[in-house]
Amino acid sequence: MDPVSRFTCEEAFRRLDDYLDRELSPEEMAMVREHLETCVACTREFTFEASVLTSVRHKVQRIDAPPGLLERIKRELGRQ
Amino acid sequence: MTCSATAVLTYHPGGPYFRDMADQGVWISQEVAYSREDASPAPATSFEDLFGAVVGPAYGYALRLTRNRPDAEDLVQETALLAFRGFGSFIPGSNFKAWFFSILVRAFYGRHRQAQRRPSTVSFDDLPDLHLYSQSATAGLPTTGPDPAAELIDKLGTERVVQALDALPAEYRMVSALYFIQDFSYQEIAEVLAIPVGTVRSRLHRGRKMLQRALWEVATDCGLISETEGAWTR
Repeated sequence: MDPVSRFTCEEAFRRLDDYLDRELSPEEMAMVREHLETCVACTREFTFEASVLTSVRHKVQRIDAPPGLLERIKRELGRQ
Repeated sequence: MTCSATAVLTYHPGGPYFRDMADQGVWISQEVAYSREDASPAPATSFEDLFGAVVGPAYGYALRLTRNRPDAEDLVQETALLAFRGFGSFIPGSNFKAWFFSILVRAFYGRHRQAQRRPSTVSFDDLPDLHLYSQSATAGLPTTGPDPAAELIDKLGTERVVQALDALPAEYRMVSALYFIQDFSYQEIAEVLAIPVGTVRSRLHRGRKMLQRALWEVATDCGLISETEGAWTR
């Protein structure tokens, strides 16, 4: 990649959320990835942020519907 | 019955019947629908099957919106009835979960009009970037390794993490819960909440910052971290 088109730390950081969520264009994803390959400080921050998202997601996704809710609603639908 | 050149089938919520929208909307049986050479593939699932697959996630999201279990159950039930009655408008093969959640959000707004009409007046000027990272570094907690935040979040436990998520103002909680609990894309969140993708992006960005600050406050409030001595207290 042309050195002129490389992202600075600030430019990469501005795209942190969108990068972690894969919401950037393929070109921008590649440019952020290339920056991270050469910048230890940004890699550490990005890895930490990704870890926060994954860990929070892992916790809050564990909530199940109460037993009986589905059956109760199905009975109600049957009366419609 | 006259066969249409191209069958456009809408599934009937009450049973294995289809409505051919290309033939004056007449009702046809599943057998007739399947026999049409030019018919697009018919869905093999009923409303109940589709609903059964989303009831858990829907309850999880309803719980984050209402913040109490009885109201969450009522909201899911009300949504299911509304969705069942309106199932004719669902396009077979499209994203049922997103469609169902959009009805759930409208039902929630119907019950809690304030959540829609009164955006919060939270100041974002003092919301720092990388709050958990910098606080963890200051407190001597791990900031490197393959999964550096896992230990902190694990020690907090599900209840406290949910508590931090529930503490977000409504409009940020609604976006963040769809993101964290449901793994929806920005586009899907925008469709469910009927807001622009750019609004999703900015609310999610601020919501993450608020959540990080809330997580750290919960961790220190519950005595998990000693801010004066650094590192874990237990």
